[in-house]
Amino acid sequence: MITGTGVVKTYKQRGKMLGAREVRALRGVDFAIPKGGAASFIGESGCGKTTLGRIIAGLETYDEGEVVIDGVAMSGLKPKERQPHFRKIQMIHQDPYSALNPTRTIHQTLHAPLSLRARQTGRPRSWIEERAAEVLSLVGLDPGSVLARYPHQLSGGMRQRVVIARALTVDPEMLVADEAVSMIDVSLRLGILALLKDLRERLGVSVLFITHDVATARYIGDDGELYVIYRGQVVERGAVDTVIADPVHPYTQSLLSAIPVLHGLEQPGEQPVVPLESLDESRSDEGCLFARRCPFRADRCEGERPLLQITDGVPQEHACFYPERRNVIARPLSEV
Amino acid sequence: MSKQAPGVRIDGLTVVYKTPAGELPAVRDVSLTLEPGSITGIVGESGSGKSTLALSLLNAVQPPGRISAGSVEIDGLGDVVGLGGEQLRKARGRHIGYVFQAAQNSLNPLKTVGKQLLDLGRSHGVDDLRGLVREAKELLGRMGLDGARVLDSHQHELSGGMRQRVGIMLALVLNAHVVVLDEPTTALDMITQANILKIVREVHAERGLTTLVITHDIGVVAEVADRLAVMYGGRLVEQGPTREVLGSPRHPYTRGLIKAIPRLVGDIDEARALPGRPPTLATVPKQGCVFRERCALRMDVCDDVDPEAVLQGTRTVACHAVTVKEHA
Repeated sequence: MITGTGVVKTYKQRGKMLGAREVRALRGVDFAIPKGGAASFIGESGCGKTTLGRIIAGLETYDEGEVVIDGVAMSGLKPKERQPHFRKIQMIHQDPYSALNPTRTIHQTLHAPLSLRARQTGRPRSWIEERAAEVLSLVGLDPGSVLARYPHQLSGGMRQRVVIARALTVDPEMLVADEAVSMIDVSLRLGILALLKDLRERLGVSVLFITHDVATARYIGDDGELYVIYRGQVVERGAVDTVIADPVHPYTQSLLSAIPVLHGLEQPGEQPVVPLESLDESRSDEGCLFARRCPFRADRCEGERPLLQITDGVPQEHACFYPERRNVIARPLSEV
Repeated sequence: MSKQAPGVRIDGLTVVYKTPAGELPAVRDVSLTLEPGSITGIVGESGSGKSTLALSLLNAVQPPGRISAGSVEIDGLGDVVGLGGEQLRKARGRHIGYVFQAAQNSLNPLKTVGKQLLDLGRSHGVDDLRGLVREAKELLGRMGLDGARVLDSHQHELSGGMRQRVGIMLALVLNAHVVVLDEPTTALDMITQANILKIVREVHAERGLTTLVITHDIGVVAEVADRLAVMYGGRLVEQGPTREVLGSPRHPYTRGLIKAIPRLVGDIDEARALPGRPPTLATVPKQGCVFRERCALRMDVCDDVDPEAVLQGTRTVACHAVTVKEHA
């Protein structure tokens, strides 16, 4: 179980001419990912979803708030003491082409973490070979044909499977997949998503999925939670199918409205939400963070910031003063 | 100033790359007509040959690649494959605008957008550079940007969506009427993508263009294109009106591809990845159907005979199984 409360991250830029500038990447985020569970962070680039993923994986520090891994608070620990906790959380990066060392065979790539593991746990050398074959089988690769190969001899989908296999060598409790399928060929994407779902079911590994493609979030498990993040704040949070089918926050509705409609197969939603695009780049920190782009903003939104909350008749949490269901997503023609 | 949108006829185009294993075809015997004023979308995965095909429209395939057969006829310009030297250089930009795959990275980081615009004008012998700047500002304004500010900016001062719009402006500013967009929205966010696609549609209609969009994302084509062409292993396997192809795909690859797209509604278990993987230049079969290794409808004939593209109504399909069914 990994939880976070009020996680804040601010990047300070020291400009020579313009003076110091602060970028608020995260403005007090709460999250909870149960053992074996699934969560997805969605939002545009720059919303803070990757920063949050990196904090959870221990690759980034946070300024305020607390991250707790299996009951142990991370902020009280020295960096060395944190290490074994964060080892339980392994990151799968977007680009399987640069995540593997091109001069090493797959065997060499898997051998390094496994021999460390063998030394730590006092296992014999023979275990290393067995385990290497085992993790490759787990990710759907044939060890016999893959082990001796170099990364350039594999397709993008196979490489991403190797990256996942490497993450599994340390017996992680959670995989953090940051845009893990966006560079994979379309015909193979579902295979990787199905693999992540399968690893959850078979090994009890939890999966944190970070993406800008909302639809892919459904495929790692319908029991997962969706976090919609905008400018460092979670603006909507709930069961993945609930948030997709019945979003109430105008930002979530904008994201879903923007997904291309497969004309000929689907009928577009009747109330698409198109965010206002303001030429003014100076982003206001007053009031609701989305107010400037929100087509439904009212006076209250300019002066006061709505916090994530539950209101009557809405099953998911949301941060909007005026939550309203809108029919935004495309539906298959066969259902209309 | 506006001309009529030109038509483009690609006929029997084959592009080969020289490799240690001999010359291998990246695009094989492709015929495709871009009707004047239409938007055509080409969908394909990595290695399908879609970018090579797009570059052929400019006769810009780089060695070790070369166009070994076929023609690309553009109204008012003739066969691009036969053009060379100065003629070809002038045609690029004036006749055919090209928005490159990484428009985000195809700008010169050391020069402002305005300076690059002037370079473009000078290299094409534009006398009225003021007029060119005016036109550029108008185009940028049309796409929702502050033209003067953008022309004064370096690329690092612009967001991904803004750079993409600058790329479109540079492709259109010399009044080209054939426009090729190679992966116009890759690496952009959903909301920015929707915005860019809307701009592509509107500018296409307003300026009377013939547009070709190359992408790996069927959703992008579904949003903008009138006609859809599907490429696999260097071959065009199916083409037709977008709605018809999406609504009732005939080629097994098209069917599989549509099934493999993650969707917001519907049964998750119904969607599945295609078995196997896309072929590369080295692994694409030399004879027979390029898709047979991953195909559920594979027959004996598929191993030896490359299926011909057969016109069936509004649709062209290259598949033995589909042809047999039609005749049965």
